[in-house]
Amino acid sequence: MKFLLRRLGFYLLAAWISLSLNFLIPRLAPGDPASAMQQKFQGKLEPEAIAALTKAFGLSDAPLHIQYVNYLGDLSRGNLGISITYFPTPVSEVLSTALLWTLFLAGLSVIFAFCLGTLLGTLSAWKRGGKLDAIVPPTFIFLGAFPYFWMAMVILFVFAFSLGWFPTRAAYTDTLAPNFTWEFISDMLHHAVLPALSIVLASTGGWLLSMRNTMIGILSADYVTMAQAKGLPENQVMLRYAARNALLPSVTGFGMALGFVLSGSLLTEIIFSYPGQGTLFFEAVKAQDYFLMQGLFLAITIAVLVANWLVDIAYFFLDPRTRR
Amino acid sequence: MRFLLSRPLCAGPNRKVRTLILALCVLAALSLGGCRKRPQTKHEEGVAVVVPVLTATFIRNFNPFFQTQSRWPSTAGIYEPTIVFNRATGKFVPWLAEEWWWQNDNRRLVLKIREGVKWADGMPLTANDVAFTFRLMERFGALDQSSIWTHLERIETKGSNVHFHFKHPFTTPVLDMIGQQPIVPEHIWNDVEDPVRFANENPIGSGPFNQVLSFKPQMYEVGANPHYWQKGKPGLKKFRLPAIGGNESQALALIGGDIDWAAAFLPAIDRIFVGKDPEHHGYFFPSLEGTVMLYANTTQKPFDQVEVRKALSHAIDRKLIVRIAMQNYTRTADATGLSDLYQAYHDPKVLKEEGDFTTYDPKRAGEMLDAAGIKIGKSGYRTLPDGSPLVVDLNCVVGWSDWIIAAEIVVKNLRAIGVDVTLRTYAFGAWFNKLQTGHFQLSIGWSDGGATPWSFYLRQMSTDSYHPIGQPSENNWQRFVSPKADELLTAFASTGDLSEQKRIASELQREFVRQAPAIPLFPGPTWGQYNNKRIVGFPSKQNPYAPLAPYKAPSQILTMVELRPRGVPPLSQNPGEGAPGRGLLPYRGDASAEAAE
Repeated sequence: MKFLLRRLGFYLLAAWISLSLNFLIPRLAPGDPASAMQQKFQGKLEPEAIAALTKAFGLSDAPLHIQYVNYLGDLSRGNLGISITYFPTPVSEVLSTALLWTLFLAGLSVIFAFCLGTLLGTLSAWKRGGKLDAIVPPTFIFLGAFPYFWMAMVILFVFAFSLGWFPTRAAYTDTLAPNFTWEFISDMLHHAVLPALSIVLASTGGWLLSMRNTMIGILSADYVTMAQAKGLPENQVMLRYAARNALLPSVTGFGMALGFVLSGSLLTEIIFSYPGQGTLFFEAVKAQDYFLMQGLFLAITIAVLVANWLVDIAYFFLDPRTRR
Repeated sequence: MRFLLSRPLCAGPNRKVRTLILALCVLAALSLGGCRKRPQTKHEEGVAVVVPVLTATFIRNFNPFFQTQSRWPSTAGIYEPTIVFNRATGKFVPWLAEEWWWQNDNRRLVLKIREGVKWADGMPLTANDVAFTFRLMERFGALDQSSIWTHLERIETKGSNVHFHFKHPFTTPVLDMIGQQPIVPEHIWNDVEDPVRFANENPIGSGPFNQVLSFKPQMYEVGANPHYWQKGKPGLKKFRLPAIGGNESQALALIGGDIDWAAAFLPAIDRIFVGKDPEHHGYFFPSLEGTVMLYANTTQKPFDQVEVRKALSHAIDRKLIVRIAMQNYTRTADATGLSDLYQAYHDPKVLKEEGDFTTYDPKRAGEMLDAAGIKIGKSGYRTLPDGSPLVVDLNCVVGWSDWIIAAEIVVKNLRAIGVDVTLRTYAFGAWFNKLQTGHFQLSIGWSDGGATPWSFYLRQMSTDSYHPIGQPSENNWQRFVSPKADELLTAFASTGDLSEQKRIASELQREFVRQAPAIPLFPGPTWGQYNNKRIVGFPSKQNPYAPLAPYKAPSQILTMVELRPRGVPPLSQNPGEGAPGRGLLPYRGDASAEAAE
């Protein structure tokens, strides 16, 4: 328990540092939101209007430490400023249109790809040299080696357009309103299948390979030989002795991947016209929308930290050494 | 050893595997269960699905003062302008203003506002609303996107007439800025504290489609105005706008017949779009957008010499650019730089007399550079007369593939005549910043212009558009000023006589062809596709009464009111001509005009 608390303390510190960096970096970077805004209005803003906007954006000439206190205050109230691209909509509102979709699509696909890759990796390492090992890993590596956008477009073209099994775009049928009925949820899943499939196909190979290779190393360890010598059932040796240990490096990678889910999957979102953070990010960078970027960075930072903390918890259960 | 003996975490490994497999099965079943035949979107009668711009998600904003942030059709459709410039025919057509005329030595424009127009809440639209809109733009400069108040002195209303008093004589070019401004209701906007930051979520407009029926991040609908002042119009019940963020899904939706009206870029359009359903699928790409230019920084050597700019121009194979970069969707530019928007003013005689510097003639280009003292040196590349090597960067935007292809051809062409050019691609922000501040040598860039060549040439070679290097400039990135052009531009804007304007426009073209302030490559096409299976009345190559592009405000409104379900007869005999009204009236001297009122 002490371990978990210590880690929690570390993450709180890391969160504070990254929040502060998030505050500092835009203020140190060349160019400023006011001039980006000025550019947006083609230099036609009156000085008073600029003053009003600067105030609305939470920028001021006040000393940095006062700005900093205001910034933390705004953050605690969930006020992330006003987006320049979607002016005059607040950043939090812009983010809310995309956040859940990204979590849903990219989150589920990463988890699914991780589970699938790890399971297949375990099996192919266990029966290494067998039929499964000869077919499955090369297939997934092969699929993962395609340029992602190309594979996604082929999937879109074949399954959505030619065969018509799945919709070509959007996260749900336009005429439905988001709610918790079975009709909507099944419609939503139906729309998510192809984008999720493209991500899973592209990323499973990596998990599979890393799991298989670690697992092969561990299978030659003495304790595995001993477990087998003890006459334990095959499955128990495979999963509880070998896989459990081989999982550790993968879990770390998984934590990172899960954290970066919030940065969105730009290509997936563009090709399948799926709402999400990736396109928002792209728009924000294109338009020098500092506030939107700041909001997105904040979301990603928090997600990475939370995911890593969850990984620590997973370690706690997987690896008894951390429990000492 | 402790590890080996540790207690199982839950009931047993086999159970865990089974749970996992079960979970996988459930997921697979769910996805397969969802596999039904593609639901053919139900098409209600009189509903057109339109995709004017690619958007990932919609944010509710109907503020008509900002075209890019507000949702379609805020600027022309929900709200309306007083005069619509029809980009396809080059005519100003009466809309909320029935007629207009100049008086007082062309220092005053009078618009007569139509009677019987009502806002969505039933209040009448009057001349006061028009004056209010412009006064609001004076008070909040950010709303004044066309900078009309740099020319305006004051506005007053007399009955149904609105008088615009200018600081100096100002004629046709001003119609662009005044006529196309969407008019907002005074009784609503008067109470808006900050109209710049007003999202106007529930617009009260006067336009043909002024009802926002539903709004979701993924789709919204705008419905027809049941009390529209143009009797019998509009012909459609509503427009449905799905959020489509990517070119791929837009292309598939278009080809699959799910979209009725769009503005997409499709490669090999005749085969992949028209070929799918030749009877109903069509497109119309008039070359009405600003001409894409190769800008040379005229403050730097050797680009300050007109002969050098012309030599570079002669080296460029524009036919190849149009074929490869633009898929032949447009034509090559000529030395006047004018796109088809200015067809009425275009004067081929000037080209004949002054010589067209856009013909492809690499041999001549080389000779011209030799004559300017820029000869091929030991390195195989040209050097400046003082012996220093001529090393040039050509700037372009990352990801703008048509421009990059064009730029690559330009680089190849210029290298062929011995100019050491390198293509540099920058992210949009960085590229634009270099262009605006004048820190570049060569750059590809767009050109801009309103309804008359006056606005085009003003942005290319006038003192008005000039800013010194280092100061961001909206236009005239090449930093070129022609005193002759300044004179001609003033003369153009001071006369109300159309034939005189044409004559001056010819002289402006002559000056541009002589000076080559920029090197024109090709006029940009306006994109537009239609599917007339359910909805008819679209402009086309055969019937070009308006541009097809749904994103071109306010021209789009001319198309919006004419669209109707298949089977319904045409709504007007002269589509694209605007609402009834006499339009431009002859110049009126002061006294007679006052008496007439």
